[in-house]
Amino acid sequence: MARERVYIDADVLIIGGGTAGCLAAYEARKVGGDDLKIVILEKSFIRNSGALSAGMNALNMYLNQGTPEDLVAYIRYDMCGAPVREDILLSVAELVNETVAMMEKEGLPIKKKADGSYLNRGKWNIEINGSMLKPITANMAIKARARVYNRVYVTDLIKVGDAVAGCVGFGVRDGKMYVARGKVVLVCAGGAAGIWRPRGHGDAHHRIWYYPFNTGGSYAMCKRVGAKMVGFDTRFVPVRTKDTYSATGTLSIGMWAPMVNAKGEAFMEEREEYAKLGGHTAPTPLRVWAYCREMENHRGPCYMDTTRGDPERVEGLKAQYLDMAPCLVLYWACNDINPGREPVEIDAADPSIVGAHAACAGAWTIGTSRMTTVERLFVSGDALGAAPSRFISGTWTCGRLAGRHMVRYLREKQPQLLEISPAEVDALEARIFAPLERYQKCSFYTNGEPVEGVLPQQMEWRMQNIMEEYCGGRSRWFYVNETNLAIARKLVNRLRREQLQYLVAKDTHDLQLAWDVINRLDVCQLVIDHIDYRKETRYPGYVNRTDYPEVDDHNFDCFVTSVWDPETDELQFSKEPYQQIVPGDRKSETV
Amino acid sequence: MPPYVLPDKCDGCQGEKAPLCELVCPGNLMVVEKNTGKAVCREPGDCWDCMTCTKSCARQAIQTRIQYQLAFYPGKLIPLVGPRSVTWTLVDCHGNVERFIMRTLAGEEDDEI
Ligand SMILES: Cc1cc2nc3c(=O)[nH]c(=O)nc-3n(C[C@H](O)[C@H](O)[C@H](O)COP(=O)(O)OP(=O)(O)OC[C@H]3O[C@@H](n4cnc5c(N)ncnc54)[C@H](O)[C@@H]3O)c2cc1C
Repeated sequence: MARERVYIDADVLIIGGGTAGCLAAYEARKVGGDDLKIVILEKSFIRNSGALSAGMNALNMYLNQGTPEDLVAYIRYDMCGAPVREDILLSVAELVNETVAMMEKEGLPIKKKADGSYLNRGKWNIEINGSMLKPITANMAIKARARVYNRVYVTDLIKVGDAVAGCVGFGVRDGKMYVARGKVVLVCAGGAAGIWRPRGHGDAHHRIWYYPFNTGGSYAMCKRVGAKMVGFDTRFVPVRTKDTYSATGTLSIGMWAPMVNAKGEAFMEEREEYAKLGGHTAPTPLRVWAYCREMENHRGPCYMDTTRGDPERVEGLKAQYLDMAPCLVLYWACNDINPGREPVEIDAADPSIVGAHAACAGAWTIGTSRMTTVERLFVSGDALGAAPSRFISGTWTCGRLAGRHMVRYLREKQPQLLEISPAEVDALEARIFAPLERYQKCSFYTNGEPVEGVLPQQMEWRMQNIMEEYCGGRSRWFYVNETNLAIARKLVNRLRREQLQYLVAKDTHDLQLAWDVINRLDVCQLVIDHIDYRKETRYPGYVNRTDYPEVDDHNFDCFVTSVWDPETDELQFSKEPYQQIVPGDRKSETV
Repeated sequence: MPPYVLPDKCDGCQGEKAPLCELVCPGNLMVVEKNTGKAVCREPGDCWDCMTCTKSCARQAIQTRIQYQLAFYPGKLIPLVGPRSVTWTLVDCHGNVERFIMRTLAGEEDDEI
């Protein structure tokens, strides 16, 4: 059935109107002038979409002291001294304070100390009243007069020759096919949630740490056009408040509540094996690993001991959580928990694939240009790899820099819109809507489920079971080895290669869920193969390899990158050398 | 904490261009049903508990309930959104009430927006 089509042409085409996308639009307008045609395609509603949708109570990248170099040294330290893209991180660190000042002017309430300076949380964070973070962020795109198309789910990029020409997608509400061209294209559709089995089931299966509607589209789309990918061996494992998986920075850095085990030991300091790794301020993966070891050795349950925290700050705890995780406040109220008087129980959540939080997944970029190895294709936010810990403020900044670089590219290279062959668009249309078309031809069981098909949710569960059990989910304490990775690969590839033909969707909402699982399966491929390639354990806690438990600097003190080969459906791996820009010991902080 | 809609309060946003909860939901989960004219969350388990719909509802017709598998009944958390702040009323399972006023935008409460 032919679908109604919407054709869009832009100078700057932005996929994903989130933290990065909105600020990229803003900056592109600022440096690119009034005539620039900026378009944002957003799968939900830009005012409330993305990781910021529930609000946040801190900006985790800010220079309260020190230099950009000090911040980069800290980020590097926090990734266990592993290679990070110091060039990219420096470019962000140099501009981040300016971005924050700008966002304060735009209405963001930032908490202040008595002397009027920002209220810091630890060295590199500041506290905010961030329940309106997303509307304030989205306003930057509106101010920039970006043309925003809400409820357009982008499924694929289109390449013409060596360059990206645009993208296609479908209207989640109107069912139309969207064909958009851009002289430059920015992918910033966030990271990937829902790859592993969540802890809650039924009505709590989305009570997970990461935003469940970012489903790996950024990574899958970049991979499928042959962009070089990096960092999928760093899964972010959030150790968070038990059951609700709300952020714990509020407790740990905010009020110095230590992690304790069932015996009340502040184990990071009191147990020699963790103290020597850095104690309470050990790198993030190592704190995750220590928590897991305590649990595995039957010293759980574990807690953040708020009773040992700063009493003044503990007082305002509920209020702070209302700004970012109201569900935790209700959870406490319904379980008779008073976090000021008793420790808050913690647990490890299902891993998430992210590039802007404390992990490195994303597309590889050339220098600080934000351009991938595919001409005209730019990335930012969680979609950009090997530059971790940019968080909200760094992602805003990274978006701005992407905006600047795209405008520079337009000026210097004067690219023109590329012609996309009608036959290719027809083929993409068939591919996008195939699950809907198949559903039309189904017969149905008495309960209404299709006889000749698999529902998106069913395939999602299958994928999550495979990843959980063979690619080190939380129930396996994040352990993997070659044997189970091989099983994971075999099963995931069977889903990808043979089973997608059975995927059916009854309406455009389900079509969205179908594409979520298609994209997630591509992320699974990246994750399994990257973890397998890195035959060492560089980030214990995130990935624990029982077959290669040590760090192997000789072979792996570098970036591991891959490019997808469409002929064989395999990833071709290579290594990129690490370049240390900030001098000094990579395993220690400088301030 | 998926949203549940009270039928007596929801009027399907008759006066609005589009029903507000349906407009804002990041997960595309809120829909006004044709036959009843009232909103419903099509799949409570798919909700991320961001509470945007609850905060956006002009008639306070949406209640967010914590999943029973995680906590006891019948606590409540009700936001009342003002121009530059939100007032939260928290009622625990025993009926104890706490109130919090949280800033949402910089500036004075009665400044123009
Ligand atoms: C629970 C949680 C707590 C956090 N806490 C903090 C904190 O306290 N402080 C801090 O500084 N940082 C925090 N972070 C990190 C920070 O929020 C993220 O690093 C940052 O927001 C990522 O921005 P982004 O632009 O990559 O993604 P997003 O802001 O999520 O934007 C992605 C956008 O792409 C859209 N999209 C997705 N797929 C498609 C598609 N196929 N087609 C079209 N559009 C699509 C989405 O709807 C969304 O609007 C936290 C993150 C999470 C998840």
